[in-house]
Amino acid sequence: MQTVRITVNGTQYEEAVPPRMLLVDFLRERLALTGTHVGCTYEGVCGACTVHLDGEAVKSCMLLAVQADGHAVTTVEGLSSNGDLSVLQQSFREHHGLQCGFCTPGILMNMTDFLARHPEPSDDDIRHGLIGNLCRCTGYVHIVKAVREAAKTLAGGAG
Amino acid sequence: MDITVQDSKRWMGARLERKEDLRLVTGQGKYLADIVLPGMLHAVFVRSEYAHARITGIDVAAARALPGVVDVITGDEIRTRVKSMRQPVVLPNLPAKYPDYHALAVDKVKFHGDPVAVVIARDKYVAEDAAELVVVDYEELPVVVDAEQALAPGAPRVHDEEADNEMFAMTFTGGATADEQMRNEAEVQRIFDTAEVVVSNRFRVHRTGITPMEPRGVLCDWSLADGLTAWITTQRPHIDRLALIDILEIPGERVRVIAPRDQGGGFGVKAPFYRENVVIAYAARKLGKPVRWIETRYESLMNVGQERDQINDVEIAATKDGRLLALRNRGIANNGTGQTGVYWGFVMPFLGQVEMPNVYTWEKGDIKLRVATTNKACLTPSRAFGHFPTRFAIERSIDIVARRCGLEPADLRRRNMVPKLPYTTITGEYFDSGDFLKVWDSLLRQIDLPAFRREQVAARAHGRYLGIGFACGAELSGVASELLVPMENQPGYGAATVRVDPRGKVLIFGGDAPGGQGHETTVAQVVASIFGIDPSDTLVTTGDTGATPFGAGTIGARAGSYFVSAVHKACAELKEKITHVLAHDLGVRATTEEFAFTNGDVIYLRDPSRRKTFREIVERIIMFPVNLPEGEVGGLEATAFFEAAKPMICFNADFCIVEVRPETGEFTIKRWATSEDVGNVINQNIVDGQMHGAIVQGLSNAIFEEFIYTDEGQQLTADFEHYKLATAADVPDIELSYASTPCPHTPLGTRGIGEGRPSSVPGALCNAICDALSPFGIEVTELPLRPSTLWAQIRDAQARQH
Repeated sequence: MQTVRITVNGTQYEEAVPPRMLLVDFLRERLALTGTHVGCTYEGVCGACTVHLDGEAVKSCMLLAVQADGHAVTTVEGLSSNGDLSVLQQSFREHHGLQCGFCTPGILMNMTDFLARHPEPSDDDIRHGLIGNLCRCTGYVHIVKAVREAAKTLAGGAG
Repeated sequence: MDITVQDSKRWMGARLERKEDLRLVTGQGKYLADIVLPGMLHAVFVRSEYAHARITGIDVAAARALPGVVDVITGDEIRTRVKSMRQPVVLPNLPAKYPDYHALAVDKVKFHGDPVAVVIARDKYVAEDAAELVVVDYEELPVVVDAEQALAPGAPRVHDEEADNEMFAMTFTGGATADEQMRNEAEVQRIFDTAEVVVSNRFRVHRTGITPMEPRGVLCDWSLADGLTAWITTQRPHIDRLALIDILEIPGERVRVIAPRDQGGGFGVKAPFYRENVVIAYAARKLGKPVRWIETRYESLMNVGQERDQINDVEIAATKDGRLLALRNRGIANNGTGQTGVYWGFVMPFLGQVEMPNVYTWEKGDIKLRVATTNKACLTPSRAFGHFPTRFAIERSIDIVARRCGLEPADLRRRNMVPKLPYTTITGEYFDSGDFLKVWDSLLRQIDLPAFRREQVAARAHGRYLGIGFACGAELSGVASELLVPMENQPGYGAATVRVDPRGKVLIFGGDAPGGQGHETTVAQVVASIFGIDPSDTLVTTGDTGATPFGAGTIGARAGSYFVSAVHKACAELKEKITHVLAHDLGVRATTEEFAFTNGDVIYLRDPSRRKTFREIVERIIMFPVNLPEGEVGGLEATAFFEAAKPMICFNADFCIVEVRPETGEFTIKRWATSEDVGNVINQNIVDGQMHGAIVQGLSNAIFEEFIYTDEGQQLTADFEHYKLATAADVPDIELSYASTPCPHTPLGTRGIGEGRPSSVPGALCNAICDALSPFGIEVTELPLRPSTLWAQIRDAQARQH
């Protein structure tokens, strides 16, 4: 067992964990933050487990909990504040950017990071930004639209 | 004045935000892996490393000795404690050689991934460690993975008790008796003998399917008093419950199955009754503790989501001016082991052959199927249930006929399309309603075809190869009992309970178990339209056999046809009661039609000043059931079952434009456009989303996904690195359009949509590719469509031309 101090969604946790515990299991099982999902065999392909580590999108199945020691993690549960959805979350609702919702948390986390880096993305930029996230339901059409419209709203809000 | 209809229009067809999405975008969905019970144990399966081998010994001592391990269960134990998987509840009423098998392998393993043992431990990581310590001794047996080899005399037998590997064979045309069928065959042969044009091709479609993002899972709890509660990732909890009752021999009142409210996609993969359900339920009962199994992606890709895998030898007789005369097909399906409850693998290829003629007016047909048992995982249903390979074969064949006749493929299709419905095809498939020509003509209005042909010629002059491809198809819109009873031994009716709450809210309980289709929203829009309330004033509960009426499940596009219609029927019954009591209270003699339910009010139309709020009148009936009309009792709850007399359909047509680079065989899809008959729409966003997803699934299946087995039966594609799904960057945007006809057989004119939709995709895509490459005379007859294969074909053609 190893003691880690990890800040998750603004709250600091001090926990003793086995060295081999994956970050995704730490989040889901220790902290009961089950919005982060596992869709592949910990191979980093499906992207459903994507979270932010110090603000950067990472796949939490590819990290050990001990590697997050001393760092800040944000999960999908941390995207909205005081019950207000983020612009991206609201855009996914409005444009039907999800069906079963299993891949959605990972996509929201990845695209939140993406929009911070690419405030005026083309559809092609969005599609390439999404290659780390697999979705089986939507054919990606409404996901691209939701991200595109969120970018417009964010730009409008800033202007 | 018809206030009710105006109000209906307000919610019907609206792009309402889904009720499901607030929880799903905030990480508050509750999927199976999110459910935890106190003291819950974790199960990990040990699976066969061989495709065909005798189990000569299983040593579980080291696994048992690992601290934290609670139990290790093998096939020998399961065999003596629970019944086999071949029970009537999960057996279709079709004549096949159904293999008997147990929830864990006994004596032999029959495919790579066959479950041999299960380890139960207090910790998930420890269970994984212990599974590694289980030592299974195998004696390898000859393996057969190819369907034709499996059917050849002297092939290794997958099931020792059977004389050969032919699990199912059927003739779909000509009549019920062998004599009638032989006469029909001779008549078809006569047509071929004299036909001006005969086109013959062997079409191969690889093993692929639809892999949901959430793998399977089972959580079982056992108590002496209440028996078994099983949470299962399933599309049909009521059927799973019956199967658990019969196989584990638990009295029915002591078994409750719950499909979690949130499921990460199903697409057919979560429709069969699986062995893992039995193993986990048995373990929970034995240990008296909750036991959970969450399938890994590796296990999922080894065991489920594998469909298609078929050869079709298609022959078409036609006139030289493009009239289709006769269709002959000899299909061979590679079924794998055939060991999966409800479908047994072969039910999909069975339905695929039924749908083979598609929407064309053949004079005669001769269609036969053989299904081979092999040492592969059993086929499991995958969206476009059964007809992905046959639709590909027929839609490609149509184009090849057109090229032989020198006709535009779009014209040849239109000329041979069923002009008027209802219509029964040469295989007996019933098309209930709609207007195929309207949909087709609407599709053609999205493209200036002569202009495209000019552009195509001009581009070729510059070494650019553009092509356009068409395809179309009818899909089942829900499945009537008439078909579901023989095919799956299950009823087809839709089922719903509608309970009005004294506070003016409406609770709906459905026997289905959705996985992303948006039932909560769709049904809310329907109920809101009927009662004149807001969709937010409803709550839909699905999936819990302890709370919902018996239903066949979320399968075959049933929501928009059967489920919604059952909801409508129950609401209509309640509406009658509400207006009966209200008329009595107002002291008027009035029929239900003389009241409008709108904006939360129930209004007497002959004197709109006389009204009550919806809440007032329902609260009065539920809570204050005094001074009621004679013969009436209080309470407002109704359960209704909806059955259509015949199967219903929806229809779609597609075209796509591609550009192929002959120097590499790579291609780009430049445009994908459709025209759809989906009946009346309840939520346009949801319908659009279904179409987008289905089309991209079809593309992903046709271009990228492939389950690869070696000759030794080793499955090489059990992770997403090797089993590639289309990413957002791999697929085009989709242009949808609609030319719908309301369905006359549902109360709202709706059709169930989306299930079969992927099957038109490979035909349209490959037709476009072949159109682009027509200077090379290339006809694609095999999937997947790999640039490397195309490149080789182009090179061969170039060599021939020189």
